[in-house]
Amino acid sequence: MKLLALIKKEFYRFFHDPKLIVTILLPGIIIFLIYNVIGAFMNETEPVNYDYKVCVAGTSATSGAFTALVGEAVKESDSKVEFTVSTAEEGKAAVEKGEADACLVFSENFGEAAGGSVEIYYDGARDASSSFYGIASAVLQASAMRFAVVGHNFETTENLGKTVFAGLLPFLVAIFIFSACMSVTLESVAGEKERGTLATILATSAKRHEIALGKILPLSCISALGAASSFLGVALSLPKLVGTGFGVLGGYAFGHYALLFLLILSIVPLIVSAIACVSTLSRSVKEASAYTSVIMILVMVVSILSIFLSSLGNWYVAVPVLNAVISMGKVLGGELAIWQSLVSVGANLLYTALLVFLISKMFSSERIMFGK
Amino acid sequence: MDDIFQDEIVRAEGLKKVFTLSRKQQKIEKTGLTRKVAVDGLSFSAYRGEIYGLLGPNGAGKTTTLRMLSTLIKPDGGDAYILGHSILKEPAMVRDCVGFLTSELKLEAFFTPDYLFDFFGAMHGVDKDTLASRKKELFSRFGIDRFAQVKVGDLSTGMKQKVSLVISIVHDPDVLIFDEPTNGLDVLTAKVVTDFLAELKGMGKSIILSTHIFSLVEKLCDRVGVIIDGKMAQEGSLQALCGEKSLEERFFEIYHSLKGEIV
Ligand SMILES: Nc1ncnc2c1ncn2[C@@H]1O[C@H](COP(=O)(O)OP(=O)(O)OP(=O)(O)O)[C@@H](O)[C@H]1O
Ligand SMILES: [Mg+2]
Repeated sequence: MKLLALIKKEFYRFFHDPKLIVTILLPGIIIFLIYNVIGAFMNETEPVNYDYKVCVAGTSATSGAFTALVGEAVKESDSKVEFTVSTAEEGKAAVEKGEADACLVFSENFGEAAGGSVEIYYDGARDASSSFYGIASAVLQASAMRFAVVGHNFETTENLGKTVFAGLLPFLVAIFIFSACMSVTLESVAGEKERGTLATILATSAKRHEIALGKILPLSCISALGAASSFLGVALSLPKLVGTGFGVLGGYAFGHYALLFLLILSIVPLIVSAIACVSTLSRSVKEASAYTSVIMILVMVVSILSIFLSSLGNWYVAVPVLNAVISMGKVLGGELAIWQSLVSVGANLLYTALLVFLISKMFSSERIMFGK
Repeated sequence: MDDIFQDEIVRAEGLKKVFTLSRKQQKIEKTGLTRKVAVDGLSFSAYRGEIYGLLGPNGAGKTTTLRMLSTLIKPDGGDAYILGHSILKEPAMVRDCVGFLTSELKLEAFFTPDYLFDFFGAMHGVDKDTLASRKKELFSRFGIDRFAQVKVGDLSTGMKQKVSLVISIVHDPDVLIFDEPTNGLDVLTAKVVTDFLAELKGMGKSIILSTHIFSLVEKLCDRVGVIIDGKMAQEGSLQALCGEKSLEERFFEIYHSLKGEIV
């Protein structure tokens, strides 16, 4: 039960110190406020009334009712919509050329049996088009029938802004997780070593791996809180910031959230143990912060690279942090990347275990713990 | 034979510690050597119920010896046995039967004496009931109950030292190892500490302490070992060592015979 006492102490230390709680939770709150202010500025334009031109291809017995529903929803947003019946090919071409805002392609069995689908072709680069996509997909998804809504975006690199932003989210999350882990771990491991309080614990008969786990487990939980705060800050502000046309964090299934959650959860202990490792090696908090900023730069580079590396095959699942960042990107992009995510999580846990083992070895090293 | 071993609580056999000096340390020590022999084949024994004093000048190797005995660092040669447990082979057993006090081991400023007592009790595997009754007894005995709920960081040096002392014996160890226990304390607090040590001795504990203060040895210790340059220069009961002379006189005699006249 020594481990339990160690864990309790770490939590006690944290939850009885308002300063620490604030440093952990503040980033999320600040992000939320800042993004909302920016978002308010960016979207301060008058509500636009569109005149949507939409092609409809392929009809089934119930498709008419659905287009009518979409029409209702459009009216509610003070816009107008004009549906034109066409073939799927014509409709798509029209969207691509900009002559139409969207094209709805219903499958024959739409609305009749499970497995029916509707495809929505649109161009995310055009405001009217993406706005219509938002309305239509919301209406279709809200209906209780079982059919798939598939969106096809003709958006090209012209609209780099949004794609970069979508790609940036995992990067931002990684950075927020890192900063949350950093403040807590530096203070608790490097700080305790520098102040000589870790030595007092090492002088007891507690096992070295208990002492290592007694740091990593509670610190990971606390850092996860901080990461969650930052993540919530971003997640709640993004829709405001980028407007409605941008579907990130909307329309996700439970599986997407579960995977995101697992991925975030898997890098927290990894980063905590990496920082704990360099903290144990360092003589002072100052020295440890210097090493930690090197790790931070590595994590940043890796997360930025993830935007370019994600298409290069599946080897990435073995690379710590990168694996989670890329998987997060995939999940945020709507892909239910189950096995990549799970393997990434597993790999990260494995690296964490290795680091914890390393830390407990370092705790038994006289040169590292008591050298001058 | 068995009986004698039972009473021999601590036995050091040829303890040796060599430090490798970094460039920076070489400069500080003004030496070109990369190795520093801090403790050089030290042997001694301490018996049940006595206070054993390690007396020596700065840099003699007292702290290093005590750090080895309390398993903070490992000897490069020799071994020591505490209640029969080897410090090399059974460090965890040794940690449970010694209490170690040194300025190197600090208490976290954020916590209260009350919390830390419970925490270190748990670290040594003391059960809850025993811990509670020990806390009550020790805290009232040493007047800690008055500031048991004050954060350690807000305590005075003397109060802190008292708390450190009490926490070092939280697990009721048979052997106590105290490195310069009165260092940096004023005469009043120093007296509290020496009274405490005498009291612990009265409770049947065996104590090894290091110091360079002659009066402390004369007042407290049953036997003394004089360490110079990491070696045991003289050892014996205070009476046998000094005879008619004062400890101070004897110390300088020993020192001169080993090192010649000093400046
Ligand atoms: N970690 C270390 N690295 C290198 N040299 C060391 C280390 N620890 C101690 N020494 C050296 O070993 C020698 C003995 O040191 P020690 O601290 O044991 O002496 P001491 O008897 O406790 O002295 P003092 O009365 O000053 O406390 C000194 O010369 C010291 O410089
Ligand atoms: Mg010393």
